[in-house]
Amino acid sequence: MLQLPAATAHRVAADPSVRVLVDELACCALEVGSAVTTGLLIPELDAHGTARITAVLMSGTVTHALAPSVLAQWQSVPEPKIAIAVGACASSGGPYWDAPTVVTGIADLLPTGGFIAGCPPSPSALIEGLLAIVGPR
Amino acid sequence: MSVLRRSIGLVEQECTSCLICVRECPCQCIDIERHTEQVSEGRRPRTVHVLDAFAIDFALCMFCGICVDACPTDALLWSETTGLAAQQRDQLVSGRADLALRAGD
Repeated sequence: MLQLPAATAHRVAADPSVRVLVDELACCALEVGSAVTTGLLIPELDAHGTARITAVLMSGTVTHALAPSVLAQWQSVPEPKIAIAVGACASSGGPYWDAPTVVTGIADLLPTGGFIAGCPPSPSALIEGLLAIVGPR
Repeated sequence: MSVLRRSIGLVEQECTSCLICVRECPCQCIDIERHTEQVSEGRRPRTVHVLDAFAIDFALCMFCGICVDACPTDALLWSETTGLAAQQRDQLVSGRADLALRAGD
């Protein structure tokens, strides 16, 4: 099984009760990184701090070869958690949806609680979508 | 015209259901249903396409704008609408009403 790099931990600046783990699978992860440089996401310093919910951002294309690793990483995150598909590839397979080696969205693998459109979603679209999905009601 | 590629809108009265956007879309995220009608006004009878359904699947869309560029009647345009996110994948499929609303902003 392929080894994924450890998911990086952040908090949403507008709502620090949301812990964000970023699974950096492909190019969308770079735009998630941009959200950090613009201050919309802040790096989490205290890894054991409590959070209302952990949002696992799956950002990038998932291939069948990568799928077991993605699933294992999702299962290693403690509850309460929500999986969020960031961008076209994680939501639906994106421009590669008809390729035989590509999973047509992470919803095929695991219970997905949110989908953020974009290729990639801009930092503002990412945070707006994230808060719409897991923000206070 | 917006340069911030946030969303796409449709001006329905400009759309001739020609399917150019459907064919040009690299992700095949646009779905059009149409039928033909006979029009007898004018010098000779003609057959025109009438739009039945228009949907863009924003879970697939790359926001590349090829459809906006390719549309010969400028029926598709960039929209300022943000926040294309949903808890269910189906909710990211925008139909006629959503797309018409976005064309207005």
